[in-house]
Amino acid sequence: MLLPPPSAVAAELRELVVGGEVLNPLSHTVYLFLVGYGVASVLGIGLGLWMGCSAFADGLLEPLVELLRPIPKSALVPALFLFLGIGMATMVTIVAFAAVFPILINTYQGVRGIDPVLLETARTFRCSRWRTVRSVILPAAMPAILTGMKVSLSLGIVLAILAEMLAGLNGLGFVILDSQRAFQTRQMYAWIVILAVFGAALSLLFDKVEQRAVPWRGQ
Amino acid sequence: MQAPAPSAELAPQVMPAAGGRLGRWRKSHSLSGVALVLALLGLWEISARLGWADSSNWPPVTAVLAALAEGIASGELPRLLASTLMRAAAGYLIGCGCGVAAGLLLGTSRWAYYILKPLIEVFRPIPAPAIVPPLILFLGVDNVLKIFVVALACFFPVVLNTLAGVVGVDEVLLQTGRTFRAKRWRVLRDIILPASLPMIAAGMRTATGIALVVTVIAEMVAGSAGLGYYIVQMQYALRPEAMYAAVICLAATGYLVNRAVVMLEAWWIPWLGK
Amino acid sequence: MKSLRYFRLAFGMLAALAAGSLGAVPSRAELTTLRVSIIPINDVTPLFSAIKQGYFAEEGIAIDTSPSAGGATGIPGLVAGSFDIVYGNVVSMLLAAQQGIDIRVVAPGTKIATVENDTSAIVVRADSGIKSGKDLEGKTVGVNTRNNVIWLYARAWIKATGGDPDKVTYKEIPHPQMEDALRQKQIDAGYMVIPYVALATAKPDFKEIGHPYSEVQLGVDVGQYLTTSKFLAEKPELATKFVRALRRGIEWYNANRGKPELLEIVSGFTRIKVDLLKQIEMAPSPLAVDPPQIEKTMQLMIEHKLLRSPVEIKPLIAQQAL
Repeated sequence: MLLPPPSAVAAELRELVVGGEVLNPLSHTVYLFLVGYGVASVLGIGLGLWMGCSAFADGLLEPLVELLRPIPKSALVPALFLFLGIGMATMVTIVAFAAVFPILINTYQGVRGIDPVLLETARTFRCSRWRTVRSVILPAAMPAILTGMKVSLSLGIVLAILAEMLAGLNGLGFVILDSQRAFQTRQMYAWIVILAVFGAALSLLFDKVEQRAVPWRGQ
Repeated sequence: MQAPAPSAELAPQVMPAAGGRLGRWRKSHSLSGVALVLALLGLWEISARLGWADSSNWPPVTAVLAALAEGIASGELPRLLASTLMRAAAGYLIGCGCGVAAGLLLGTSRWAYYILKPLIEVFRPIPAPAIVPPLILFLGVDNVLKIFVVALACFFPVVLNTLAGVVGVDEVLLQTGRTFRAKRWRVLRDIILPASLPMIAAGMRTATGIALVVTVIAEMVAGSAGLGYYIVQMQYALRPEAMYAAVICLAATGYLVNRAVVMLEAWWIPWLGK
Repeated sequence: MKSLRYFRLAFGMLAALAAGSLGAVPSRAELTTLRVSIIPINDVTPLFSAIKQGYFAEEGIAIDTSPSAGGATGIPGLVAGSFDIVYGNVVSMLLAAQQGIDIRVVAPGTKIATVENDTSAIVVRADSGIKSGKDLEGKTVGVNTRNNVIWLYARAWIKATGGDPDKVTYKEIPHPQMEDALRQKQIDAGYMVIPYVALATAKPDFKEIGHPYSEVQLGVDVGQYLTTSKFLAEKPELATKFVRALRRGIEWYNANRGKPELLEIVSGFTRIKVDLLKQIEMAPSPLAVDPPQIEKTMQLMIEHKLLRSPVEIKPLIAQQAL
């Protein structure tokens, strides 16, 4: 009974989509994901660039970053509830907090892995710091940054679902949990399929964007 | 996250004397980072003492440290940590191994890419708490389940990074291999693998962070053993200082593991950061 | 895992042989291990009392308790064969039964027999002016999880005190955080259980306004020990022995509530400090399951749209439980 036949799940799925029931939770999850992922990207790329270019920033922030990374978000939830309440703020924090690390690390690695010749060339041309970052470092590190963003994409979705399960009132995570609790396995699997499709669609979209942004990556 | 200074890695096979390595470590880790962490801890202590967060669930740092000391002395925290680490390590190794193999396959074989990649993309977004109840049916509630969940979580970043690394291998290198009429297997082993290593390493580094966290989450959801369960248990037992003590344990362990991985990386892939 | 169980059994045999002891109590080798999934709350104290007093050992059973904080893995684990017996609440049991899951009630757990026994309560901020379900319309109530016994009876209480349960929002908040959520106005009321409720109401900021279980359905059978019909069919004597030992544990628990030895047992599996436990009143546990009460709960579930259609209660109750 805990493993319904695919046909039953498909039937349930059709009902959800046709009936329009799928829209409300899905849009909630999409919104949460975009906000959290957006925050994580800005923070991750910004900090990654800074830490990659500045030894001072690296020394200052590295212990903090490495200490915060292994903390499971579920352990932080009580503290987050206290300070941010039970709602969007907490959920966005959970998503952003987890998604920021792959982006940060990959950006950092990307910056550090830049061919020194490029940097020397920029120095020869007496490029300002900002110019160097924008025209040399950012493009050269772009493949690494995008890889990090790709990993964070799926991580962000996973955490949005987790956040909805822990602190949410709506969204895919919430309905999956609810149907789990009520042992409505057909519904649960149907929602999981919707989740998987959503994630796959997002990945595909990201791939398209990546191809545009980094066309020189050999395929 | 420090890239090694170029001069130190001219002879990567020779492990420098411990003193030299330690000296370099100390120099490259400015005190400012440690100071920042201490400052934040101080802020935590003050906020708890002054009651900024009006709650018994926000213990002062000193209480947490006391609980930490007690947990270590009694041997409970080390024991739990060991069991969690064991699961994390097993899941990590399996996940990374499969990830690298799959990444290499996807990167070098067209048909594998078209068949397997969609499958991977479909399963990726399903989070641990959602996947645990169905998996319990097949794997039970013990270590096998938890290790499997961790391996699955580690698999994804590693396979993606490996794929990216393989795909990003300099065309010139591949041409050279072709000129020398190198066999496919040789090309893989001597050209593709070493050239993709930085990306693979980055993937494995991401996976290290994921492994520990997912193990703890799996323990929280599926219960009964390890630090993850202890954290939930202490929450319900109204002992938040013990809970945060365990969280600190986790953070410290994660930090040390990452340090170890970085050092391993530096020794193994010296051209990173050049 | 099964292989682990056999390994333990084999190891136990070797250990017993090495020890070479024979006595009135069966040696380790002869003990059958039963894996019981529990939630570490006071409801299962009788089980632990029975283990501690050796009642299970005397029946030739070794209990392997598997704690699960949310109870989410209990019933799936039962179906998967990881557990032989699971402690669960009546609502989850009925939901599982409706979905066709092979589940049976094998032993009694928790029952609210008298008003004094009802330790859980709806708690509000003392200055909020909320007195009834009607006052809660348009507001938020905290429950530990939705679709379980607590959520159901919170809704029923709101209805019984003049309110419309559909006009209330139910936020899921884990028990340890409910007091904080209430204080910080993230919820307007919380349905709290011991020990958390005792701690909150001891403070002047909070007060109780109702006891859903006893006000809605006095005598409600809140939790039971569950198993599968497969287990009952294959090992009926084992089930009988389990219940027999458990009943002795229940009697011991009922007689020793508040005594230091019992508090030590509770502290052992909940990890709550003994000093905190002294402040808590423990209600007695029932010796038998109450099918008519379960029937009433089922009707309530239908009324609140948790169940599509009635579930036959009688076939679900094992003969040992009565």
